[in-house]
Amino acid sequence: METMEQKLELLRQKRKEIQLGGGESRIKKQHESGKLTARERLEKLLDEGSFVEIDAFVEHRCIDFDMADTKAPGEGVVTGYGTINGRLVFVFAQDFTVIGGSLGEMHAAKICKIMDMAMKMGAPLIGLNDSGGARIQEGVDALKGYGEIFFRNTLASGVIPQISVILGPCAGGAVYSPALTDFIFMVDGISKMFITGPQVIKAVTGEEVTPEELGGGLTHNTKSGVAHFLASSEEECLESIKKLLSYIPSNNLEDPPYIEPKDEAYKIIDELNDLVPTDPNKPYDMKELIKKVVDEGDFFEVQPHFAQNMITGFARLNGKSVGILANQPKVLAGCLDINASDKAARFVRFCDAFNIPLITFTDTPGYLPGVAQEHGGIIRHGAKLLYAYSEATVPKITVIVRKAYGGAYIAMCSRHLGADQVFAFPTAEIAVMGPEGAANIIFRKEIEQSADPINTRKEKIEEYRNKFATPYQAAKRGYVDDVIEPSTTRIKLISALEMLTSKREKRPAKKHGNMPV
Amino acid sequence: MKKYRVTINGKTYEVEVEEIGGEERPVPTAAPVPAPKGEAAAEPKAEVPKAEPAPAPTKAPKKDAPAGKLTINAPMPGTIISIKAKAGSSVKKGDVIMILEAMKMENEILAPQDGTILSIEVSEGASVNTGDILAVME
Repeated sequence: METMEQKLELLRQKRKEIQLGGGESRIKKQHESGKLTARERLEKLLDEGSFVEIDAFVEHRCIDFDMADTKAPGEGVVTGYGTINGRLVFVFAQDFTVIGGSLGEMHAAKICKIMDMAMKMGAPLIGLNDSGGARIQEGVDALKGYGEIFFRNTLASGVIPQISVILGPCAGGAVYSPALTDFIFMVDGISKMFITGPQVIKAVTGEEVTPEELGGGLTHNTKSGVAHFLASSEEECLESIKKLLSYIPSNNLEDPPYIEPKDEAYKIIDELNDLVPTDPNKPYDMKELIKKVVDEGDFFEVQPHFAQNMITGFARLNGKSVGILANQPKVLAGCLDINASDKAARFVRFCDAFNIPLITFTDTPGYLPGVAQEHGGIIRHGAKLLYAYSEATVPKITVIVRKAYGGAYIAMCSRHLGADQVFAFPTAEIAVMGPEGAANIIFRKEIEQSADPINTRKEKIEEYRNKFATPYQAAKRGYVDDVIEPSTTRIKLISALEMLTSKREKRPAKKHGNMPV
Repeated sequence: MKKYRVTINGKTYEVEVEEIGGEERPVPTAAPVPAPKGEAAAEPKAEVPKAEPAPAPTKAPKKDAPAGKLTINAPMPGTIISIKAKAGSSVKKGDVIMILEAMKMENEILAPQDGTILSIEVSEGASVNTGDILAVME
């Protein structure tokens, strides 16, 4: 009979083996490729000493091929819970040192358990992905594993925030769990995501592409829009996750964390009166305006590299978290296009799901013209933005800064899509189209028949501009609640947010809508 | 209407500019080859390679980047209303290279990185399409 001492020794021995993952040499290799190990990552992500591991002793039960003799300490994934800035989070970190972090039946079961717990407890789920993909030896059991994760990702969507961090390869079916979550973080040079890798692409289509070009951090942050954040190192990446969490609640029934503001709530910001050029043809940086208005000039941008004509991100107003959307006149003239609509719609839905009020700054000349846009489906993609804003029941406040023309005026959270408060700067031009275009249509006959068509046209443009390209036509109808001095923007927004704190708005009961995805 | 005429002049003028190698104001010279009706756009294409030794077509060829060089492409269709940088000048990331008027906005075309402008592929007044090469730098 073993003594207690021997039993304890056995336990310690087993735990030590598991904690070493794939062993010293593989850990060394992981470090040499510029990557941290799964446990090191969790240590950096979570509050010191807060990590509690679950299911360390789980083992695979595959006996096919070489698997009967293959040891996989921890099943290639470290799971558990801990805290970030004192708030409970559930985590899993795939361990690349253990058979390439490959996903088998029990590996997936560990992840699913953590997901179920996160849902029950109403706490965010953070997944650190670093895996070669499905464990092929396990066949359909591995696929079952992915499927069960996707299913839970979907059930958890809109209930708890789900964050995916790509810290190595993430290929094939594995990409779809991150894709179903709310935010994807990538690290330049380390993260790779693709459905089919460069070899398969070369074999099938003959295209040659490097893994980095195909699915590196930069690619997914600039071109595909798959990822939301790009960091230059793992440490920086883990820090920005903490920052993101500071703006969002732990679940859909809570409010986002309040942080005591250092800035005065009701302050006049004189520079704002001069920030927006009165000449509607002159661009400016909308982010400057946002930073001047929000607490401590701190604006945490989401997808800063993708569809830069649309700005999305989090900030605080008088300590309360808000989601900000804005057109960027500096990029593509602030036009709405396929990518901008997509980016904005998704952001609106996240904020609405998690009780984060929406602030919209409008300065857009309209939808981007072009065959590529039309054939790319701007109609259905643009519709997403209308849908998302209309569906949202969180407080919605809109500031029309300058141009708000046609369909784009409607789309940018106009009164008609349910904005609770709409403010306009005196520079606002709210009309069905720009003065040039409108004058050409409305006064076509007068211009054609005039002895001096050029001057007549100019006069008519001016006439139209003075009469309609202002905020006052919309204000006359009550579509704009108030025309405000730009210097008072912060005051107006904070006051409106306070007023809207108790907002309750019902939507018709239904199973779910049919968003034009 | 007049605007369009100016644009046509602009295109004709491009021939002159490339020869001088500078970026002066448009000189109202007679069009070297009167454009066949309705085919104004095609005309400079044919004209420029004749007038110029360097293979720098005025109407930018779509999207093919010279190997190893960085091309700056038009983000959307519009008109080049002013050119701020010269071929041969060095620029810093974020410097304004030219202004593209499109969607009623004077869009600044910025240098994507530090480097030298090898060539400016368009001239003031030129109308461009999405993806057209505006400048080449390294």
